[in-house]
Amino acid sequence: MAAVGNLRATTITYRLILRQLVTGGRVLALLALSAVLVLVSLAVGLSEDVEDPLEVGVALIDLMGFTLVVPIVALVFAAAALGDTREDGTLVYLWLRPMGRSPIALGAWLASVSVSVPLTLLPLAVSAVLLDAGSDLVAATILAAFVGVLTYAAVFLFLGVLVRNPVIWGVVYILLWEGLVAQFGAATARMAVRGYTRSILTSMTDVDLDLGTLSMTMGILVPAVIVVSALALTSWRLNEMEVA
Amino acid sequence: MTLPPPPPDPTTRVEVGPMVGDPIADNIVVEAFGVTKAFGDVVAVSDVSFRLGPGLTALLGPNGAGKSTLFRMLCGLTQPSKGNVRVFGKNARRDRNVRGRIGLAPQQDAMFDRLSALEFVTLAAATHGIVGPEAAARRSLDLVEISADGPKRVGAFSKGMRQRVKLAAALVNDPDLLILDEPLTGLDPVQRNRMIALFNELAAAGKCILVSSHVLDEVARLGSNIIVIAQGRLAASGDYHALRELMDDRPHRIRVRTDQPRRLGAAILERGVAEGVSVVEDRLVLDTRDVGLFGRQLAPLAVELGVELNELVPLDDDLESVFRYLVERR
Repeated sequence: MAAVGNLRATTITYRLILRQLVTGGRVLALLALSAVLVLVSLAVGLSEDVEDPLEVGVALIDLMGFTLVVPIVALVFAAAALGDTREDGTLVYLWLRPMGRSPIALGAWLASVSVSVPLTLLPLAVSAVLLDAGSDLVAATILAAFVGVLTYAAVFLFLGVLVRNPVIWGVVYILLWEGLVAQFGAATARMAVRGYTRSILTSMTDVDLDLGTLSMTMGILVPAVIVVSALALTSWRLNEMEVA
Repeated sequence: MTLPPPPPDPTTRVEVGPMVGDPIADNIVVEAFGVTKAFGDVVAVSDVSFRLGPGLTALLGPNGAGKSTLFRMLCGLTQPSKGNVRVFGKNARRDRNVRGRIGLAPQQDAMFDRLSALEFVTLAAATHGIVGPEAAARRSLDLVEISADGPKRVGAFSKGMRQRVKLAAALVNDPDLLILDEPLTGLDPVQRNRMIALFNELAAAGKCILVSSHVLDEVARLGSNIIVIAQGRLAASGDYHALRELMDDRPHRIRVRTDQPRRLGAAILERGVAEGVSVVEDRLVLDTRDVGLFGRQLAPLAVELGVELNELVPLDDDLESVFRYLVERR
């Protein structure tokens, strides 16, 4: 029996995981979370008391979009992509096959990104439009959300094969590390994904946000390195882990 | 129901003990060298060594004996804490070509429940790199007598149907080594007989098939070569019939409730029907090596003595006690 090529193995894993991930309950719960952001944005956009809509808009998108919606949506799908198969015992049907580990990691990441991107980009883009703060905010929001989803999905994919109950650990990471520790200074901000999404927002809108001081190039390049590293770690972990 | 004995399989070989010789020249498929697996302080498998060639071998052991852990180590799903496992001379964990020659039906019930049987087995075929995976899946489902065009998802299947779908997935790549962990669980008697016949056909075609079970009678129908594992240790191996005799030769303990236990006990000892007799809480407890003889003589003896027989309970007739006996006598 011939070994399965990497492209084919990636495609098979992608299709399988995508089908497993999309459940009505998950999608509805995360849409509800996004709806809160959209409604708040609508309220702010309609308000006549806002002096600088761009500054308020950037702050709101950063606070609700990049602290909650983007990481939570990415966590729910990416942690489940391989984490669920590991916990319910179905990973054996991918693992014990003549396939490399990297295509499994890549296919699962692409599947989680495929679900997470529309569920984050659309509501965030709609929110940015409703805030009525100009096209720069809309463009910055879309780019930062795209970078954020890709990066969080890679990190949480790794978490899914690393620990049991990855969603709980992921929420702790989002709230404590991304939400709290990363606020302490420039050094800790660089060790949080939010530091880079915030830098993209700052660079494209010229609105100052605390700790969003990195250049646009760094805001894209470092997350790309994080994605590649997290996928490599996931492949390594798949190779070394004990499969039930 | 009387079943025909499985066909003799001259190609099967089970070796236990120090490993010598050239595995490839000897046509060895599976080798385990002093394999131990511990989870913290719990030792699941302890110092197990054996070699298997083509043919059907049954791995027999009570629940929790370490069968599934041993299978997982053979497949490379988990690493031994000590010792080595080789499949086709290599480590399945590191060699993807070896993984392509293995078919595993795991014991756990987990499947991709949202897929249909055809989709599930087609996925298995595709992940094995088979050209025309759907056609291969249809053939495999046909072997286990599951309709490929059924609309149901496997999540809605009965236990027996899920077992057969798992089996079809394990067979789809025409594996040289087929590892089946309790594959007959949940099957009705007709399906069991068909699956056993299928295992024997595959073994006769030169495949190495390893089937686990905790049911002694099931193993009797599977084939003549067995490996017995108990408490994580290799308790016995070789020909089933020799082992069965060994099991039958062990002393059996039986409890008899009667109105006159001392009188009946004395008579049983006098006739030589039992080797040891004691009275515990007004019950007669006796040891015999010949259950058949005891069974034939007890009732006439009770009639002759005018003694009432109220209850007869075998105290060690469960499989666990058989395994305990085998382990203790090593």
